[in-house]
Amino acid sequence: MKRLEICKSLYKMERRKSYYERSLIEATLDPLFVISPSGKIKDVNEATAKATGETREQLSDTDMFLYFTESDKVKKLCREIFERGFITDYSLTIKDGVEIPVLCSGSVYKDDHGHVQGAVIVARDVTEQTRIAAELTEAKIFADEARETAEEAMRKAERATKIAVEAVKTKQQFLSNMSHEIRTPMNAIIGFTKVVLKTELSSKQKEYLDAIKTSGDALIVLINDILDLAKVDAGKMTFEQKPFKMANSISAMLHLFETKIQEKNLVLIKEYDAKIPKVLVGDSIRLHQIILNLVSNAVKFTSSGEITVSVRLLEEDDETVKIQFAVKDTGIGIPENKINGAFENFQQANSDTSRLYGGTGLGLAIVKQLVEAQSGTIQVKSKVSQGSTFSFILRFQKTNEEGDSHAKILELDTEVKNLSILVVEDIALNQLLMKTLLDDFEFGCDIAENGKVAIEKLRSKPYDLILMDLQMPEMNSFETTDYIRNTMYSRIPIIALTADVTTVDIEKCRAVGMNDYIAKPVDEKVLYNRIVGLVKYPPASVNKGFEKADAKKMRCTNLAFLNKRTKSNPSLMMQMISLYLEQTPPLIKAMKQSFKDKDWNTLHATVHKMIPSFSIVGIDTNFELLAKRIQEYASLQRQAEDMSNLVAELETVCTQACKELEEEFNILKKTSHEQVK
Amino acid sequence: MNKLNKQKLFLVDDDALFLKSLEIEFIQEGIFDTQTYATGELCIENLAQHPDLIILDYHLDGVDKTAMDGLEALDKIKLFNKDIPVIMLSSQDKIEVAINCMHHHATDYVVKSETAFMRLQKIIKDIFEVKKLQNVITWYEDRV
Repeated sequence: MKRLEICKSLYKMERRKSYYERSLIEATLDPLFVISPSGKIKDVNEATAKATGETREQLSDTDMFLYFTESDKVKKLCREIFERGFITDYSLTIKDGVEIPVLCSGSVYKDDHGHVQGAVIVARDVTEQTRIAAELTEAKIFADEARETAEEAMRKAERATKIAVEAVKTKQQFLSNMSHEIRTPMNAIIGFTKVVLKTELSSKQKEYLDAIKTSGDALIVLINDILDLAKVDAGKMTFEQKPFKMANSISAMLHLFETKIQEKNLVLIKEYDAKIPKVLVGDSIRLHQIILNLVSNAVKFTSSGEITVSVRLLEEDDETVKIQFAVKDTGIGIPENKINGAFENFQQANSDTSRLYGGTGLGLAIVKQLVEAQSGTIQVKSKVSQGSTFSFILRFQKTNEEGDSHAKILELDTEVKNLSILVVEDIALNQLLMKTLLDDFEFGCDIAENGKVAIEKLRSKPYDLILMDLQMPEMNSFETTDYIRNTMYSRIPIIALTADVTTVDIEKCRAVGMNDYIAKPVDEKVLYNRIVGLVKYPPASVNKGFEKADAKKMRCTNLAFLNKRTKSNPSLMMQMISLYLEQTPPLIKAMKQSFKDKDWNTLHATVHKMIPSFSIVGIDTNFELLAKRIQEYASLQRQAEDMSNLVAELETVCTQACKELEEEFNILKKTSHEQVK
Repeated sequence: MNKLNKQKLFLVDDDALFLKSLEIEFIQEGIFDTQTYATGELCIENLAQHPDLIILDYHLDGVDKTAMDGLEALDKIKLFNKDIPVIMLSSQDKIEVAINCMHHHATDYVVKSETAFMRLQKIIKDIFEVKKLQNVITWYEDRV
């Protein structure tokens, strides 16, 4: 009895254990196969039934390979498992409606006597892994492609930028060249027309010549307009900040319109706000240009009535004033629907307008650009056949300095005669024109065709003044002026003659020590005034501003680069400067020594070491070129003719740079010290 | 950014002034832990700090004739770890020099000028961009 009980409970335990094991097997999601040594399926779990889509009964005692895509591979698996006793990570695909990729692992099982009974194979479902792997591979390929596309796009953009930059440069160069090429002959045409106009002429001849002159003037204005617009477009337009007398400047300019206004029987009304400070800082030339354009428009489009130019003070604080300029006419007006386009390039309200009144339609476009480039605003109000009002607002700095005397038109002074003037000009036509004009003023005149000849002449004879063309072959005007100022130590007044008045040129003229400039075609009144002005009031007293600019510009260093790089951090700047001061003197010494010793390799290396510092402390690129010339000579391993001059010049510059930087260093030290306080 | 996360940059040039100006620029950039060395020898000695990038002057033996020149330094760096990107700097704009540098496995070559820093910035950006992409790919490869 007792035995039976034990047997029963053992049997129960056995049953429970077997249930438990069975449920474990059934619970796993991985299909499981139990096969006989002949490859017949003996047992499966639920997952297998699901994966194959057959019932357990259907599966039982069938060949395992029936349920996989590659039956050969399955047969091989069966062989292997019974040969080796186990297999791992065997990748197969279960076939059904959907194919399920699986990784098979398994081992044989034996009876108590060690005889192989069959094998258990677990086929792990790897659908998910395979999918993720495929997606990753795809993502990788996609990422690679995206990178390539991006790189290609970048290269394209770079190329396009380069081409665009070059195109702009070419356009600029072309315009500059063309303007010079056109203006030079125009200069001669207008100049000689003026000369002929002064001679005895029949009324017919005078009429024809007037027509030539008017057309010439118009052409010059057009060229200037186009150039100005191009400059604004290229962002090349820069504005001076110079003190000038606003009231004088404006009335002198309006003076120009008097004859025209009288001819048309118009009335010019000037309203000038007396509260405006006498001297302001700004760009008087550009202001002229703006008002000139507006007034000439007003005159052009008004056939009767009046033109009012008003200048009004809007705001004033400690440092600046805000001034409104307005030009009002009683002309044809602008229709409402055309008013927005008024400031666009080549726009006139009506296409008939240009036929009737002439003009290119560039004037207002330039005005707008000029005003906006100085952060001003411009607006227009207009009613058809009642008139238009153009007004713009600009801000100016206040100053205690004296205004620029150039704006004031000097009275013709008959006392000044017998001046002796040296004209430096390479084009024969212009030489003749200048000579004619100066003869007319009863001034003595000598011609030099280039800077070298000019210097020879200066050495042999005293002159009162030099007129110098900016574009010359041989020794150019800047070199010549530099030589006159710094080698001959002459303070003789020099006036530059230039066809292309860019601010860059003007800056450079001043930097090298010229006193003034005149734009071609030369207006004889302007020429006379400038000459007499400079001779009667020698440079030192004529304009303090100029002198100061000279002194400052003659410095060979410029901390702009350092300022920018260090974001004006004084301590960083001081570090940089002191490094330069430490490094340079030994280099100068080494340069001199190696030159003396004819040790060309060391000379080459030393100069090489000096070059990068030039741009850092703002030494002019000319000296960099000079240094590179020394290098070239040095690499030829022989003494060249002017080498000692070059070395000496480089030494001078670097020594001067050290001196200047030492001063700058001390200033920085002082100011940063004060700031700390 | 944490200093630990910063990329380590070595600047090597015997022109103290240029070196300083570069250093200032890179310090202002703020993304690098910048170290400067006046000679190739000093740079090599400090390679154990594992710089992420080196900017190396070509003409390191300009004044001191016995000093290691830029190419020699470049070779030594590449010997230490060929994966450190090295950008060569020189005031010579000779093609042969540039080609020579490339043959010695320099990553790029920049002529010293006012725009040198901008060029460097661009090149460095590219280098790190490529590095980043490589890392991403490695990461993907590891997961696959």
